[in-house]
Amino acid sequence: MPKDAVRRKLGSGVLNRGDRLFFGITSAASYFAFILVALILVFLVAQALPALKEQGLAFIYGSTWEVTPEKAVMQIGPMLYGSVLIALLGVLLATPMAIATAYLIVFILPKNAAKLATNLIDLLAALPSVIIGLWGVLVFTPIAQGWADFLHKYLGWIPLFSTEKGTTSLNSSPFIAGWIVAVMIVPIITSVTREIFSQFDRELISGALALGATRWTVFRRVILPTSSGGITGGVLLGLGRAIGETVAIYYVLQLSMKINLFQILEPRGGAIASWILSRFGEANEVEFHGLMAAGLVIFITTLVINLIANLIVNKAQPWRK
Amino acid sequence: MTDPRPAKQPWNKSSKVASFKGGRGFADAILIVVSLLLSAVVFALLLSVLWSVISAGAGALSPQFIYQNNRYISTTTSLEYGGVGHAILGTLWLVLLATAAALPLGLAIAVYLTQSQSKLRNLVRSITQALAGLPSVVSGLFVLSIISFLGAQKSGIFGAMALFPLMLPTVARVAEEALRLVPTDLRLAALGLGAPNYRAFFQVILPAAKSGVITALLLGLARVVGETAPLILTIQANNGTNLNPFDGGVATLPTYIYGFISAGYASSITRAWGASLVLLVLVGILFITARLLTSDKKRKKSKGTK
Amino acid sequence: MTNSSVAAELRSEDVSVWFGERQVLKDVNLTFRANRVTALIGPSGCGKSTFLRTLNRMHELIPGAGLAGSILLDGKDIYDPSVNPVDVRMEIGMVFQKPNPFPTMSIRDNVLSGLKLSGMKADNKDELLETSLQRASMWNEVKDRLGEPATALSGGQQQRLCIARSLAMNPKVLLMDEPCSALDPGSTRRIEATIEELSESMTIVIVTHNMQQAQRVSHETAFFLADENTPGGVVEFGSTEQVFDQPIDPRTNDYVNGHFG
Repeated sequence: MPKDAVRRKLGSGVLNRGDRLFFGITSAASYFAFILVALILVFLVAQALPALKEQGLAFIYGSTWEVTPEKAVMQIGPMLYGSVLIALLGVLLATPMAIATAYLIVFILPKNAAKLATNLIDLLAALPSVIIGLWGVLVFTPIAQGWADFLHKYLGWIPLFSTEKGTTSLNSSPFIAGWIVAVMIVPIITSVTREIFSQFDRELISGALALGATRWTVFRRVILPTSSGGITGGVLLGLGRAIGETVAIYYVLQLSMKINLFQILEPRGGAIASWILSRFGEANEVEFHGLMAAGLVIFITTLVINLIANLIVNKAQPWRK
Repeated sequence: MTDPRPAKQPWNKSSKVASFKGGRGFADAILIVVSLLLSAVVFALLLSVLWSVISAGAGALSPQFIYQNNRYISTTTSLEYGGVGHAILGTLWLVLLATAAALPLGLAIAVYLTQSQSKLRNLVRSITQALAGLPSVVSGLFVLSIISFLGAQKSGIFGAMALFPLMLPTVARVAEEALRLVPTDLRLAALGLGAPNYRAFFQVILPAAKSGVITALLLGLARVVGETAPLILTIQANNGTNLNPFDGGVATLPTYIYGFISAGYASSITRAWGASLVLLVLVGILFITARLLTSDKKRKKSKGTK
Repeated sequence: MTNSSVAAELRSEDVSVWFGERQVLKDVNLTFRANRVTALIGPSGCGKSTFLRTLNRMHELIPGAGLAGSILLDGKDIYDPSVNPVDVRMEIGMVFQKPNPFPTMSIRDNVLSGLKLSGMKADNKDELLETSLQRASMWNEVKDRLGEPATALSGGQQQRLCIARSLAMNPKVLLMDEPCSALDPGSTRRIEATIEELSESMTIVIVTHNMQQAQRVSHETAFFLADENTPGGVVEFGSTEQVFDQPIDPRTNDYVNGHFG
């Protein structure tokens, strides 16, 4: 009997031809996912490079966009800023609603109502953005305009709610676009938050409540702190989605290269994806490259945000793996 | 004697929560009221969208709206003529093309993630998640750059190509979950009988995950039937029916809606609502079917074996 | 086509087993003689089921699994690099602790599933179906409802269905991992009777927690033991009568007399 047993090599060895094919195909498909992302990057960069080289770094922060047959100055500053502004607005509006809805579903509603509510939220997520855009411009804008008028009338002295001199109607503003975006991203944040909330041991919470703790203390001291990481991830996912939003806010926003820094009620703003859509129809070759460059910026921005967001969310929800 | 300990309150019945006396009960009341209010806003917005589409869209609906195309229709023609028939066909056709690639690949990725023991699995999962966050406009730009690179014309096939990266991650993710739900001892039993992995998969695991895989397909479809930006960028519009993916424009429901909103006239807006209703019904059917399949599977699972 | 396979002798030589870096079994030497039922007994967690899984090369399905030594089926090492594990499993079948019939298949398809899964051809499927169900002692119960889904059966019936499913492959050896632990006493007894009949045509190795069961069905018994954090091994191996009535090792004595475990 040998003292140190010689460990044999297990696994691999004689694999069926069928199995080799099987694992080969599935591996190939999975590597294809890499290739796809790489291809997107490569093609976008290739198309964007001429414009980026010509425009330089000012492409990102400048605020001129003039394309003539002789020359073209293309800069996305106001558009990029506008996208971020609207996305932040959207997140600000959506997050409280999402957390409240998740709390409602997990901790308040009885099982059947909770299931219905969850399905409704998922239905909201499935709604095509063009339909939301149509609703946004025709049905929601008048309502939101009313809110904007109200804010402007009573709180217009705060710079945030001020407008330019001479502005009469408050439609097509970042405020309204922010609401539309919020409608689109609430389901994502709700979904992530709901999964995190469901993770809490209900027996434990029932016990705490029975001993005299209030819902509020349990929420504030136990649930929120533990969930904050995961919720942040969910919010980031929403943010990424919001920045890339194109059609939903296309009709609702008045795109302008005159940057709108903080006057969210002012009917003037930027959104880089909508900008691309609006310009590409009549773009000549030079402008085409400029729009591709804008697309590249969106791609990289959302990619980074999503990678970080997924990292955070996966950590908070280890069972997802 | 009565039990002096406070009765155990089930916390998910708000009416019996800790009694509202004093400061602590007040905070609870606020918490519940605020949650209810904020959630109500969300549901109100959802209902507003659904209601507007249904009520405004119903005005445009007629049998002729559903099946006719718009070959001789301009943006101001009254609603007695023309319809979305061509757009419905175009949507179904392009989505079918995208599915032809996204379903097998998504399934293959799901199999890889659940069955392979490679260390690259986490990387693949991250990439798939990253793809899930791809903005649809970027996908359209990507295919547009391919078109420019190839010197080709915009056509239906490119639209399908632009939908594919958007559909793939959803199919892969949901299919992975479905495969994961299959009990491992089924796979072990199959392997124990002398099956190679691929036979175990096709004859035992896949049939067991059937409803889950169909759900993956349906959710993937729901994801892309409503996509607008990628199609605007890669396909020409068309007033007539064209099912040739390699030549000419193809109308789809989302681009139809987009075009008619942009026109701005009352009649064209109504057309847009009508088309939105059709699109909503399509998404609704996909969504509800997927839900029914999932809850059906859950019911079956809990009944299970005696 | 005959339905009796030629039973084979299965032997493990100096088998040690690892999960990753952790060694769970050391130097297991056992011989499972043809046409005999051998029981593997011992407290929970001492490696009996793990060892069982090395006998049909299912152990290697676990990532990081390791093995040393050899396992010889009729003298041929099943771990030889030229041997396809799939072929091994066609000759060495397994019945699991929890009945696991394929839920999407009917009773008939379940019994015959091994054929399709392994690519084996059979001349007369109906005959094979009936024979396998007869050998599993359930032909009469299900012969009129072969098209029904397997999940319509009770737990005990499902387990016998799984036995029939394995038998349809005509294995030389049948491995059983606590096959009755999830069943009621009536089903258990029926299966034990089946095991006895089956031993006439094959070699059976059964892992069991139930010592009365071991005494009822097995000809020979191996007692496994593992101390905390040390690899398990075989403490005693001999005829069932001897192991239970006159155990040589004191630890065997303690276990079979219920002093621990």
